[in-house]
Amino acid sequence: MKLPYSIFPRRLFLNGLLGGGLAALGAAFIGPLLKFVIPPTREPDQVSLPLADFADMAAGTVRNFAWGNKPGFLKRTGAGDYVAFVGVCTHLDCNVAFLPGEKRFYCACHQGWYDEDGINIAGPPPAPLRRLAVGAEGDQLIVKKAA
Amino acid sequence: MNAFRAWIEERLGLGAVTGFLERKEVPRHGHSFLYYTGSSILLFLGIQIATGVLLAFYYRPTLAEANASVARIATEIPLGWLVRSVHSWSATLMIAMVLVHLLGISFTKAYRKPREATWLTGILLLGVSLAFGFTGYLLPWDELSLAATKVGTDLPRAMPIVGTWLTRLMRAGDDVTGDTLSRFFIAHVSVLPLAILALLGAHLFLVQRHGMSVPLAEEKKGVKGPVLPFWPNFAYREAGVWLILLGTLLTMAVVFAPGLGSQADLMAPAPEGIKPEWYFLFMFQTLKLFPAKVLGLDGELVAVLVMAVGMGLFALLPFIDTRPAERKGRIITALVWAGLAYALGMSIWSLL
Repeated sequence: MKLPYSIFPRRLFLNGLLGGGLAALGAAFIGPLLKFVIPPTREPDQVSLPLADFADMAAGTVRNFAWGNKPGFLKRTGAGDYVAFVGVCTHLDCNVAFLPGEKRFYCACHQGWYDEDGINIAGPPPAPLRRLAVGAEGDQLIVKKAA
Repeated sequence: MNAFRAWIEERLGLGAVTGFLERKEVPRHGHSFLYYTGSSILLFLGIQIATGVLLAFYYRPTLAEANASVARIATEIPLGWLVRSVHSWSATLMIAMVLVHLLGISFTKAYRKPREATWLTGILLLGVSLAFGFTGYLLPWDELSLAATKVGTDLPRAMPIVGTWLTRLMRAGDDVTGDTLSRFFIAHVSVLPLAILALLGAHLFLVQRHGMSVPLAEEKKGVKGPVLPFWPNFAYREAGVWLILLGTLLTMAVVFAPGLGSQADLMAPAPEGIKPEWYFLFMFQTLKLFPAKVLGLDGELVAVLVMAVGMGLFALLPFIDTRPAERKGRIITALVWAGLAYALGMSIWSLL
């Protein structure tokens, strides 16, 4: 039986097939594209530092080291142990400085303060400085991501 | 000459365009000066394109060379300091002119029906202009620009769901690195220019389609107010405005050439007194003032959300203020004044 008119004309079918196919093809490119635009993270799992460079630190002093491409701070405690922080402000990611006179960490971007244990005490920082685990192996200090 | 014109016309058929320009009229009234802001932005955009191309002859977007190549432009290349200074000052004047344009349209309610699409393309143009400023600020790769970019690219992270991804997209990873510099450079010299030209085409087309908006107060006065033919009367006046602006720009560029800090060091503590470009100062100050916790929520998140919602509402203004054109819209006027006062106050505070 031949209908006098088509409820689903050939033009509509072809448009849907071609348009839908193109749209699906385009959508299939989105995932790979999103993957491409963000390179893998390069934060190290651990860094090793020659113990000799840090053995002469007095209690309560702080020295810099490189945590990947971020600044790290190594502090010697009163008991002679080492504590390490990532020297990046938890507010908006600026690098912090250690002020030896005041025994505090300071972020110049928005005037954020942390005490010598990295605890946020004033200004906008919402959390303490990130801590890293420090251990000794032979003549090396091993700084690792805290578990 | 006439034969040559006829020859061209037969092949290009520009009669429709020139005929339109010959008939185009610009209303004359107390707020006529607002009609000059658009073409002033165009002037500065043209200068940005020309000086930007010149700077790109010598600029090198790599960690090792970026800062040194800008220093070379400013010290060794003949008149390089002037080209850089004009690029920097023209950017500032362009943004300033964009803000005047935007405020004029908000106060005169020129965004109302049928000009909603014109407003939206304008808001997108504002976004692209600010993105130009933000990406361009990093390119000299000095201490200040690094710290400002770290803060600016960390802000989206506070947003729920897409935040972290947006930050990583802008930075090319979790941190600001050489990849960020490459990304900002290509955005500044290729992606954003294409975007601004496309949006500008749409914006200008819509402006011509709807004709110049006349403020309500002027429309009420008479059936049809006095007009000025666009060609040549209005165009000549614009040329006069352009000359004044060019003179201002060159004077500022010669007298106040921008400085250059020492090369950025990814390991160094942020320098004292970091400041973003002046048009981001109010956001900078707001972030500084927000405490770490607001009602138990993360202060940064609240600050970013409040500002994002405010800007979102402003972008959708024509769909919020849908009242007929004959209403004055005093509430909107008051809100725009309040927003302006807030931005000015915060900016001045941040400079104290």
